[in-house]
Amino acid sequence: MLDYVISKYNFWIYIILMMIGLYAMIGKKNLVKKLIGMNIFQSAIILFYVSIGVKEGATVPILSGHGHGHGHEVIEAANYINPLPHVLMLTAIVVSIATTGLALATLIVIYRKYNTLEEDEILMIRKETGV
Amino acid sequence: MKVIALIAVIMTGTLLIYGTGEMPDWGDPNSPANSYVSPRYIQEATEKTATPNIVTAVLADYRGYDTMGETVVVFTAALGCILILRKKRNGEGG
Repeated sequence: MLDYVISKYNFWIYIILMMIGLYAMIGKKNLVKKLIGMNIFQSAIILFYVSIGVKEGATVPILSGHGHGHGHEVIEAANYINPLPHVLMLTAIVVSIATTGLALATLIVIYRKYNTLEEDEILMIRKETGV
Repeated sequence: MKVIALIAVIMTGTLLIYGTGEMPDWGDPNSPANSYVSPRYIQEATEKTATPNIVTAVLADYRGYDTMGETVVVFTAALGCILILRKKRNGEGG
């Protein structure tokens, strides 16, 4: 039982982090809090992918020798952690920065128009003014 | 409303935690993600691209066009921010 917990608890931590983000996105009324929840969700996904690439007893995927002239020695794949999730998560971080920036710009425009960032107040103002 | 959100979130989390039973152990060198594609990259990347850092080799050599597309994504996001936030002059629409 303890072995099972030790071998799987990293996934549970990411799932709890993801639940916090999802609850902030669904349950909170403030739009900035919703955006922070989305960022927590993205962080959970990124940590999950990075943890998939871990190999026990391996090191970072940077080879000590130089590229040329050292092709004869055999590189043992078990000695280096999986580089592919790291590359994919670099791409995901770039996309998350882009979406966060655009969302923050949109929030500034919403605040200029309605003078509030609470979702229910914005909906009430829209209903009153008929816009 | 918040109760419904909490119930939905807890149901999602329970389903996902149930699903982790099939996931490979933490740090398992023989997990599916570590045993089919990535050994080839680790063994051949330095020889083929002359870059000691394999993450850099994959990002800038194997997936160079993808990285170029990422710069387009960042550029578009910056352009969108400018278009959203600019002050409109009087009498101009849009």
